[in-house]
Amino acid sequence: MGKLHRKTLETGVEGLGDSYFTESLALSTPPDDPDPLDSNLLLRELQWLLQDATGDVGRSQNPDLVPLRADLGDLYGLWRERVLERRPFQYVVGCEHWRDLVLWVGEGVLIPRPETEVVVDLVREVVIGRSGRGDGEEVWADLGTGSGAIAVGMGGVVGERGRVVATDLSEVAVKVARFNVERYALKDKVQIRQGSWFEPLEDVKGKLTGLVSNPPYIPSRNLPGLQAEVGRYEPKLALDGGESGMDHLIHLCEGSVSYLKPGGFFAFETNGDEQSEFLVDFMVSKLENSFRDVKAVADFAGIKRFVTGFRS
Amino acid sequence: MRNVINRGFASEAAFVEARTSDGLTVDGIVEQRWPILDEGEGDWKSHAAAIAQSIQIIKKRLQWKKIMVRLDVLSAELNRPDLWDDPVHAGKVSREHGGLMGKLKEVRGLEQELLEQIDMLKLAREENDEELELESMKALLLTRRSAKEKEHVALLSGDHDSCSCFIEVQAGAGGTESMDWASMVMQMYKMWAQSRDFRVTVVDEMPGEIAGIKRATLKVDGDYAFGYAKAEVGVHRLVRISPFDSAKRRHTSFAAVAVIPILDDASSHVQINESDLRIERFRSGGPGGQHANTTESAVRIVHIPTGVTATSQNERSQHMNKAMAMAVLQSRLDQLEMARQAQMNAQHTQSLTEISWGNQIRTYVLHPYRMVKDLRTNYEVSDPDSVLEGDLDGFILSFLSASLDKHGDDL
Repeated sequence: MGKLHRKTLETGVEGLGDSYFTESLALSTPPDDPDPLDSNLLLRELQWLLQDATGDVGRSQNPDLVPLRADLGDLYGLWRERVLERRPFQYVVGCEHWRDLVLWVGEGVLIPRPETEVVVDLVREVVIGRSGRGDGEEVWADLGTGSGAIAVGMGGVVGERGRVVATDLSEVAVKVARFNVERYALKDKVQIRQGSWFEPLEDVKGKLTGLVSNPPYIPSRNLPGLQAEVGRYEPKLALDGGESGMDHLIHLCEGSVSYLKPGGFFAFETNGDEQSEFLVDFMVSKLENSFRDVKAVADFAGIKRFVTGFRS
Repeated sequence: MRNVINRGFASEAAFVEARTSDGLTVDGIVEQRWPILDEGEGDWKSHAAAIAQSIQIIKKRLQWKKIMVRLDVLSAELNRPDLWDDPVHAGKVSREHGGLMGKLKEVRGLEQELLEQIDMLKLAREENDEELELESMKALLLTRRSAKEKEHVALLSGDHDSCSCFIEVQAGAGGTESMDWASMVMQMYKMWAQSRDFRVTVVDEMPGEIAGIKRATLKVDGDYAFGYAKAEVGVHRLVRISPFDSAKRRHTSFAAVAVIPILDDASSHVQINESDLRIERFRSGGPGGQHANTTESAVRIVHIPTGVTATSQNERSQHMNKAMAMAVLQSRLDQLEMARQAQMNAQHTQSLTEISWGNQIRTYVLHPYRMVKDLRTNYEVSDPDSVLEGDLDGFILSFLSASLDKHGDDL
């Protein structure tokens, strides 16, 4: 693999400037782009790209040389894809930093969003609140797991008695999720099964301690107007929520009635205020007496992003 | 076990001042006023005088008298039979006692070393043993050098000096020119930290509209980062012809620097209630969720009762940004608490750790002449470029020694 002079790395972007990267930065905001990239953000992504591309300096024999995981020319190619073709940064570097995890992501799986990190916190709170109660095994499910982010995150918080079963319809997602589970040595804790929503969960029907999901929730009519990185690259299967965006959410709510055990917890991510409010109302009035403590929970941007509650 | 410990403390009080075989003490050597010459010149008396002087400086910097009083108090505490009823307190007491004893032993070791070497040298002369005399002189020279080094180390004996720290830089009034200056100051600290092998990360940075930064927070990780960096607290002034002024006029701008220790002793942290916090996604907009692909996951935390806020934006996940912002918030609240306690304790109001945004401490002149001058110590250099590239140790050490050595009565 390539070598990069340490001086270049320390002085950062300017050092690489003449030949490569500043050219790309200059290209980063074409005047006709209606949805331009933020140059500060790009600069930070570029630093991360270099960070990911450079190996351990300590292991280099010459302290002035930094080993590179990819050829400079290849890096440049990747960066052009990022800037000119708007390929998501996470696909470019092949990973997403999510919570305290570094997850493998690639085309074919949704890149886990920062908002979704909170789902794991919601689960952790419930686990802590339940501790000391009961002594049997506790099974948690993550439906439509994608890269396996929530499932791996949950694997770390469900406690000694807990285990996680995660499902996804997509073959690619199942492969990526399994890789991420193994990467964090959670093979005995987190199981990935292929299939649609509840289909692979017959064996735990009515026994789930908790059920979470970040299902596709964008209304179909909004798909054409999505941000370039999302619309051009991320899988429609993970985004398209049908006409109202709520097809899958409703399916999940209904399924929860029979799959959760009494007292079981659920948390779903939604498109925001409107969907969350609708779901709360739907679960309280349409699925009456099935659930208790149903409420909308805001994300850090103040948007009612999640609906949580318990099976009666 | 306890008996053994008790005997250890008791013997502490019964310390007898060390002497050479003919009765010379360290203070006695100082009183002789033997001239201190360069290392390569002079006889053993020059070395001995230099070492004795270093010992006095070290004692002064360590606030020797206070240490002795404090040790008495701590030893009395440790001897109490009910000490371990409160294990947290007991841990604190025994840690502090251990730390002070370490300093005490080191200085006494140095005194002992000096006196033994003098004895050895005299013996060699009496017996005309040239080889031994040469060896003793060499040993004395080595002790002189290590004593000099210990003078520096003794500069960093404050409560939190060994901690890592945050350095905060804020641009003063004056628009783009002072925002550019603030970013130069931040760069200066980044390079300084790197030159000392501290790990430095930008936690939070608010860029100016045209150039520079409005403010920034750096995290500096490493032993004694706070001890050194605390010398930089205050307002830094720049005089130059502004590159942002088409009329090429001379401008004066200001940047304020605050330094906050990251306390490594969790028991001294201010308790933060989760319910007192408001956590916000910083610089977010739009519908978010699946609509948005972004690597931006900045988090701002507001501590509602105090209004103190902390932001982190350069970590790669929201979770990590939240953790970093919490660390910043914790340090700021700890700092507030320390300031509050310092106010109650008048002795500490002069404390170096206090954020004193009002104090101008240093001027950097790039035009019409070139100079950097510290207004507290009058230490100055004529090469601003090297200073702006992080060569700050001269300023830092001269300030630390000036501020510690002026308390002459503590010996």
